[in-house]
Amino acid sequence: MGLRDLRDQVCIVGVGDTPQGAVPHKTGDELAIDAARAALQDCGLKKDDIDGLFVQRSYGHQGDYLKVGLMLGLNPRVGGAIDGSGATGCYMLQHAALLLQAGMANYILLLYGTNQKTNRNRFGEALLEEHAPYGAFNPSLPFAFAFRRHMHLYGTTEEQLATVALNQRQHALLNPKAAQRTPLTLDDYMSARYVVWPLRMFDYCYITDGGHAFVLTTAERAKDLRKPPVYIRGMGRQEAFRAYETPDLVMQSFQQQAVAKMIFNMADVGVKDLQALYVQDAYSPAVFAALENYGFCPQGEAGRWIQGGRIALGGELPVNVNGGQLSETYMVGWQNTCDAVRQLRGEGGPRQIKDVELLMCTYTGGLREHAGALILQR
Amino acid sequence: MAEYSKPLPVIETWNAPYWQAAKRHEFVAQRCQACGYTHLPPGPVCTNCLSAAQDWVQLSGKGTIYSYGIYYQLWHPGFTADIPYNVALVQLAEGPQIISQVVDCKNEELDCGLKVEVVFEDATAEVTLPKFRLVRNNS
Ligand SMILES: [Zn+2]
Repeated sequence: MGLRDLRDQVCIVGVGDTPQGAVPHKTGDELAIDAARAALQDCGLKKDDIDGLFVQRSYGHQGDYLKVGLMLGLNPRVGGAIDGSGATGCYMLQHAALLLQAGMANYILLLYGTNQKTNRNRFGEALLEEHAPYGAFNPSLPFAFAFRRHMHLYGTTEEQLATVALNQRQHALLNPKAAQRTPLTLDDYMSARYVVWPLRMFDYCYITDGGHAFVLTTAERAKDLRKPPVYIRGMGRQEAFRAYETPDLVMQSFQQQAVAKMIFNMADVGVKDLQALYVQDAYSPAVFAALENYGFCPQGEAGRWIQGGRIALGGELPVNVNGGQLSETYMVGWQNTCDAVRQLRGEGGPRQIKDVELLMCTYTGGLREHAGALILQR
Repeated sequence: MAEYSKPLPVIETWNAPYWQAAKRHEFVAQRCQACGYTHLPPGPVCTNCLSAAQDWVQLSGKGTIYSYGIYYQLWHPGFTADIPYNVALVQLAEGPQIISQVVDCKNEELDCGLKVEVVFEDATAEVTLPKFRLVRNNS
């Protein structure tokens, strides 16, 4: 038995979300539970069908697994918390797939909820405590390093990077759920303030409140549920803790290329087969890293490759057609994968990717220690 | 001396020799007695072979700027007067990378690949921070 035997054996059968943006009257846990109810409604299961529960921690002591389990009134067989920073949602989907395939659970619920906008999470901590004396605050720093290095090595320009934010805002204009729905021009982008140069305000995720949930089960059980199943065709993952010893850590090449090898082997497809890409885009250079390290374009070419509508809806490889975290909502990748599921069901509305059957969702987290991805299929 | 208002390093078991050396204006790293691997940040074992037999050795203090960012947004009041200030990822000649700052230069002078050397900034009576400056041809 190997990873390839897991191909198409487990499905995402329910997705749920809440209003995004400012949701001032709810705690993070309430938002997670609202999303759980929506996801159960989506697939037609009852609360007590759920025998597996994973909850991602969130800002302000929200998302505690035990507390949320108590509030839901569940006695799950399996579950817990997983600490993979921005890749946690991806890792939970992968753990759920493994547990379902092994028969340790039949229906697994995954939850994330946060009220970090209302409670003004400023993301002002240093990456590691030892960096604080040097003023190295906020998780964007590795992305600023990566993009500055990319400029140095490949001649990439700030205007080329702007394409990521502008493209995703175009997508968000078609998405009623998106928190950022005013048009964004190149002039707007270029005249915006720097946060950590060379990154500008529009290269940063838009902090929101909100909740998301997934329900997963086996392919066999998925047939009886309300919505068309979305199959996990491939998954991959790589951690990289030798942070200070891995010269390309910030470029993410080691970890993402390792994920690519695993996931394409399991899925038995290549990049050319993928019809869309969702990147956990806490900061816009994440899109460059994913395009290059997963092999959509050659190393160093992302800045040029994304020009001319290539990553727009209707282009060769639509990227983050929900608006991503720069323009839809910042849910550490959960909302991207939620949108991916809806696209594969044909629920994309005016943003529907034509005939989409196969796509990929990539995640990274931490100082870039965490990387993972999923290939999903209709 | 005005009161120092920036965060200070948290000194604990493993990194105490690093900060003690910095106070003497020495820049050090751990080197493994078993395999010879030089590594930072400080830890209980060699991250190459897990041997617990580690020496502290002096580094050359030479390196290059792998990359850097410039902070325009203030996240800590101690840095108010410094905005915009740089934070650099320095590739040390002996192998490890560290996050620090490049001092005594304008931000516009920075570039990836430039040679730097360690300097010591006495922050408080107890704490000295290793930082870096550009290696200029005529100095
Ligand atoms: Zn060793």
